[in-house]
Amino acid sequence: MNVQVGQELPELVKHPTTRQLVQYAGAQGDFYEIHYDQEYAKSVGLPGVILHGLLKAAFLGQLVTDWLGDRGSLKTFEVSYRGIDQPAHRYRCRGRVAKVDGEEVTLEVWGEDETGNRTTLGSATVRLHG
Amino acid sequence: MSAVTSVIDRLRTRIGVDSAAIAATVEAGHVRRFVAAIGDANPRWEKEAPPTFLVALAPAMLHLAEAETYGKGWLNGGNRFEYFGPVMIGDNITATGRVADVYEKPGSTGNLLFIIFETDYVNQRGELVARLRGTAIRR
Repeated sequence: MNVQVGQELPELVKHPTTRQLVQYAGAQGDFYEIHYDQEYAKSVGLPGVILHGLLKAAFLGQLVTDWLGDRGSLKTFEVSYRGIDQPAHRYRCRGRVAKVDGEEVTLEVWGEDETGNRTTLGSATVRLHG
Repeated sequence: MSAVTSVIDRLRTRIGVDSAAIAATVEAGHVRRFVAAIGDANPRWEKEAPPTFLVALAPAMLHLAEAETYGKGWLNGGNRFEYFGPVMIGDNITATGRVADVYEKPGSTGNLLFIIFETDYVNQRGELVARLRGTAIRR
């Protein structure tokens, strides 16, 4: 497959639930209460429990590895959390090819909430097998 | 010296100091629970760990009790993974974390404390397979 600047990655839509946050808390070992305890989350000024940043990173990682398949390897992956996301709200992962330099491809990726607000911004570099 | 300044000064003395290494095996059952939790059914993860799994092997942040005297909660500002080789199921990974930087910055609702953590992941052959940088924020 020919990789060109501007190509969009097939989008990945997630429907996170509070149950999934508990499942992720256990799998990662991050038991910070803002991810499963509504009262605690409100006591620190949040509207309720929120998604783990690293769960959103994992969603965006899947967006990249689904697109890449066995055509290459992931070299760098970074995400910056710009806004909170709550369970029971759709989370849409999107991306595009930002740069192609020989075998090295830079992707711009982001996660959008239901209003189209980009709450997670990120990028990835991959090396395609020659 | 204000209380806030002294917390920051104490945290800054930890910059560049390696914490105790944590060794962990990449277990098939753990990876299976992790990919079920993130909802990624790619069969590739039957043999290999997905890109963010490293954070489940060892804490991505050191527990800095004294940082918690600043502000009222933690925020995750961002994460950057750099990969040098694959992490396969059965690998024995040693994670070594450190504080890379500490600084205070004004935010929209007051000052914020930024702590940059860095973790190196080395496999059983002594190969550095990944490095993670994380930005933790006290607000």
